[in-house]
Amino acid sequence: MARHVVATAVEIPPGARRIVEVDGRSVGIFNVNGHYYALKNSCIHNQAPVCLGKLGGTLLPSAPGEYRPGMAGQVLRCPWHGWEFDVTNGRSLFNPNVKLVSYPVTLQDGQIVVEI
Amino acid sequence: MRETANSSRIQTRIIDVDVHHTVRDWTELQPYLAEPWRSRIIQSGSHVGGLGYLSSAGHRRHDAQPAAGGPAGSDPALLLQQLVVENGVNVALLTGEIYGWNVHPNTAYANAVISAWNDWTVDQWLAPYPEHLRGCIAINANDPEAAAAEIDRLGSRTDMVMVIMGATSRMPYGQKFYHPIYEAAVRHNLPIGMHPAAAGTGVAHAVTAVGYPTTFFEYHTGLPTIFQAQLISLICEGVFEKFPSLRWIFIEGGVSWLPQVMWRMDKNYKGLRADTPWVKRLPSEYIREHCFFTTQPIEEPPNPDWLLQIFEMIDGQKILLYASDYPHWDFDARHVMARLPEAYRRKIYHENAERLFNL
Repeated sequence: MARHVVATAVEIPPGARRIVEVDGRSVGIFNVNGHYYALKNSCIHNQAPVCLGKLGGTLLPSAPGEYRPGMAGQVLRCPWHGWEFDVTNGRSLFNPNVKLVSYPVTLQDGQIVVEI
Repeated sequence: MRETANSSRIQTRIIDVDVHHTVRDWTELQPYLAEPWRSRIIQSGSHVGGLGYLSSAGHRRHDAQPAAGGPAGSDPALLLQQLVVENGVNVALLTGEIYGWNVHPNTAYANAVISAWNDWTVDQWLAPYPEHLRGCIAINANDPEAAAAEIDRLGSRTDMVMVIMGATSRMPYGQKFYHPIYEAAVRHNLPIGMHPAAAGTGVAHAVTAVGYPTTFFEYHTGLPTIFQAQLISLICEGVFEKFPSLRWIFIEGGVSWLPQVMWRMDKNYKGLRADTPWVKRLPSEYIREHCFFTTQPIEEPPNPDWLLQIFEMIDGQKILLYASDYPHWDFDARHVMARLPEAYRRKIYHENAERLFNL
């Protein structure tokens, strides 16, 4: 496992993301409410560039006919088939055992460090 | 499917989930009708179901025609002879020929005739033949309030073991409009059976999503599309989340299309779950848990083993029920299922139905 500085914190403010190359690998760096997350930019379904998908919220599990918006800014939707993933842990919303590859992220002296 | 088809080898109890008893003519219901409907049925009969889709094979078995007159299915003695004695059926579930009335334009008339049909069924069929016959509570799904009242009126009877309604409807059955029916069915612990009926007639939509085909051949082949639309609606509207004990029986709608619908729904669920956030599991899981499918008219692939493969794909041991469709033209005799492995035969011929209907 190596540590890679991928950006400075100010470059990725809350709600933003950046796609970076690390060791020849495409990785998405996300800032959700001030916390940073790194996901491999490849959907486990069909290898789509998942980190280019729409970022937003979703409708949480509810009773029939009820709508409960939630997880605002935390849900990444793959651009190819619409699978939803929780950016904070990579897990899909339809089955928590189906998850994107994620990497540990730390903040050191204003720099975002990803361990890959 | 290594075992040979030979009906004499079947040594098992048989429950037949789709048997069509019927009236000699509609005036047979008049003692059970009040005015103004009594006069109307004498004057004009049903006027339901006539679109001009005429089967060149006939709509009923020619050999089931009672000698004394009336249509096949109208003589209890002949029905019992051909079904119980000749086809080895132990218990026949009488589904009737009434559910087409749920697309009758006049709901008040339809409600009255359907109630009359239920009372006539009890008097003429269930009471005299308790050993072999069970009934269904027919309802007019087009009037959910009246339908729920009819289920409440008859729901405590032990000889009526299912609610029956037509597969044809004004709107997809998952929609809230119909939920009072499901509340009532659950209240009485009755499964709901849905049977093709009067497609394209009355207040129903066209038989297919592209309009009216020309022949009965096309009409009949396309009927499963109605079942698919209803199944998709029931799952996506969350009916089985809202009514966790509800069980639904798809009668005469075919079986072999199920893998495609299950797989496409499961695939779509992964990308589209936010459309229906109340659907909390893979759609195929709800189907396997809540839905049952009768075998007739069973698909007959050129390689009979392919049918067993399809059964494996859909957990067929758990969700299939034998039905003959007596006395209709495309009747499936009991030996149609005789090629199946023993474990399948027991479940499909009787065990699944015993559990479902407390028989």
